Amino acid sequence: MSITIQNLNKQFGNFTALNNINLEVNSGELLALLGPSGCGKTSLLRIIGGLDVQNSGKILFHGTDVEQRDARERNVGFVFQHYALFRHMTVFENVAFGLRVKPKKERHTETEIKRRVHELLQLVQLDWLADRYPAQLSGGQRQRIALARALAVEPQILLLDEPFGALDTKVRKELRRWLRRLHDELHITSVFVTHDQEEALEVADRIVVMNKGNIEQVGSPDDVYANPTSPFVYQFIGNVNLFHSRTHALWTQQPGDAVAYVRPHDIDISLIPQQSSLPAVVKQVRAIGSVVRLEAAIGQDGEVVEIELSRERFNITPVAVNDEIFIWPRQIKVFEA
Amino acid sequence: MSSSHQLINNRKIATHESKAVTLVLITVALFYLLLFLGIPLFAVFYEALGKGWALYWAALQDPDAWSAIELTLIAAAIAVPANLVFGVAAAWAIAKFEFRGKSVLITLIDLPFAVSPVVSGLIYVLLFGAQGWFGPWLQEHDIKLIFAVPGIVLVTIFVTFPFIARELIPLMQAQGKEEEEAAISLGASGWQTFWRVTVPNIKWGLLYGVILCNARAMGEFGAVSVVSGHIRGMTNTIPLHVEILYNEYNFVAAFSVASLLALLALVTLLAKSIVEFKVMNNGSRLPHGETE
Repeated sequence: MSITIQNLNKQFGNFTALNNINLEVNSGELLALLGPSGCGKTSLLRIIGGLDVQNSGKILFHGTDVEQRDARERNVGFVFQHYALFRHMTVFENVAFGLRVKPKKERHTETEIKRRVHELLQLVQLDWLADRYPAQLSGGQRQRIALARALAVEPQILLLDEPFGALDTKVRKELRRWLRRLHDELHITSVFVTHDQEEALEVADRIVVMNKGNIEQVGSPDDVYANPTSPFVYQFIGNVNLFHSRTHALWTQQPGDAVAYVRPHDIDISLIPQQSSLPAVVKQVRAIGSVVRLEAAIGQDGEVVEIELSRERFNITPVAVNDEIFIWPRQIKVFEA
Repeated sequence: MSSSHQLINNRKIATHESKAVTLVLITVALFYLLLFLGIPLFAVFYEALGKGWALYWAALQDPDAWSAIELTLIAAAIAVPANLVFGVAAAWAIAKFEFRGKSVLITLIDLPFAVSPVVSGLIYVLLFGAQGWFGPWLQEHDIKLIFAVPGIVLVTIFVTFPFIARELIPLMQAQGKEEEEAAISLGASGWQTFWRVTVPNIKWGLLYGVILCNARAMGEFGAVSVVSGHIRGMTNTIPLHVEILYNEYNFVAAFSVASLLALLALVTLLAKSIVEFKVMNNGSRLPHGETE
């Protein structure tokens, strides 16, 4: 089921949470809403789910306006950052909840409910926890139960609000791969909110980068990472070095005030001057796994530039602290300041 | 394992005081409790039973005493459920929704705590008494509130209405509204959400509030005293009856009836402890009751 968002606005008092948002979520895709906290991504998700109401604008599910349908009628599965499991119910009852509250006519028999709950628990690989209470589970287990619970009512859209935000790094990485596999199996149109660019890049089919209530860029992970269309996206996704035209006109190649953005791994080094290279002094060398990170100072004021080289590249030009080197960009993006 | 063991040991050492200090502190606390709680409690039962069981029973079987007990039970039986409904509704609104005038509502709920009970009683007399604002209208329609049972019920409700709401608001605020939102997104109606999600989460806090509310409803003296008129066998509650008996130098009867309230206090204390124990064992938050 596709989601169409048209001219959506949301204000909290004087604060504009969403400023004229237009967005199309394709049927069956996994979309990430990425941005810093307070950028409006959670507000957008909650409005899609019917938990909040927009001030103006429309939301269409498969071409149908859902304004008249509240959260319980939208058939949307919602997964919360802090799980929101019913603490007084067992895992089984949590997952069964959506099936038990259906109107009498639509309600399944007890055996059917049992069968479906166990099927879902098997899907999230936690069938053995059916009789436990939420307090007895780890964070990762809770979030998988929360997902099973949301899937129980066979939603046509799945909304996840920072689903891995409260988990530690290792569990987070496991769970997001698992979510990706699950989505490949189920193909439910899914929107998830995250402030973690790595998570968005790894899991999503498409990424929507948001900032201060506006959409900055929409695109595939590759596209957003490689071709940021605004300085904000450049800085938010991945590390980046900034070069102002006032000091480094050689690189910005633009009259007037401009800033050049260069990724650390788009900078190359050499021991002898090259065309349009800048002299620099190595300040720090750190090998981290398969890459080597250098910090080099350029110019008179000792501005620090981050450089990332593959280990092989580093081995061709091994440098040490206080060595004089020359750096130049392989790829550069210039925005007017 | 060994490190956590050490930690516990360290903690013991860190809070270790010399035997003398411990002894002095415990003695002071116990002495204080004995002086201000233990002796009066003992005195109530000692005075009540001092002249033998026969007189004790006689005092309790007096028709006026019975009517006082009856009236007290009626007042509590109306005030507690009324405040239960109001308290849950107010706490639900305050904790789960944003609306204009929320802080005004919170302040209003605290009003009975801030106002002296005698003043609360007076307010009702000023409003509904013969000379009060609504007095003439009430007289015209032959409705008697002041110096009658309805007045006693009204002031009891007024004096006790913060108990349940105050108990639930912090609890429900701490629990947030995510579980309710989850329930609604799973297709539950408001009513289903309330009964299946909200109520089970607050049940111990609710019971705790009911116990405190009930204790106060039965024990209220000041406000009830003002509106009751002290008509024997008609508008006397237990506390008022005790006062009348005492003023008549009928000490045995006064203390006998008073012993009922003391027993109520003890039962309340026991019930409160059981609920607290349940809450602790449930692993959920302890209902805010530290200020009581």
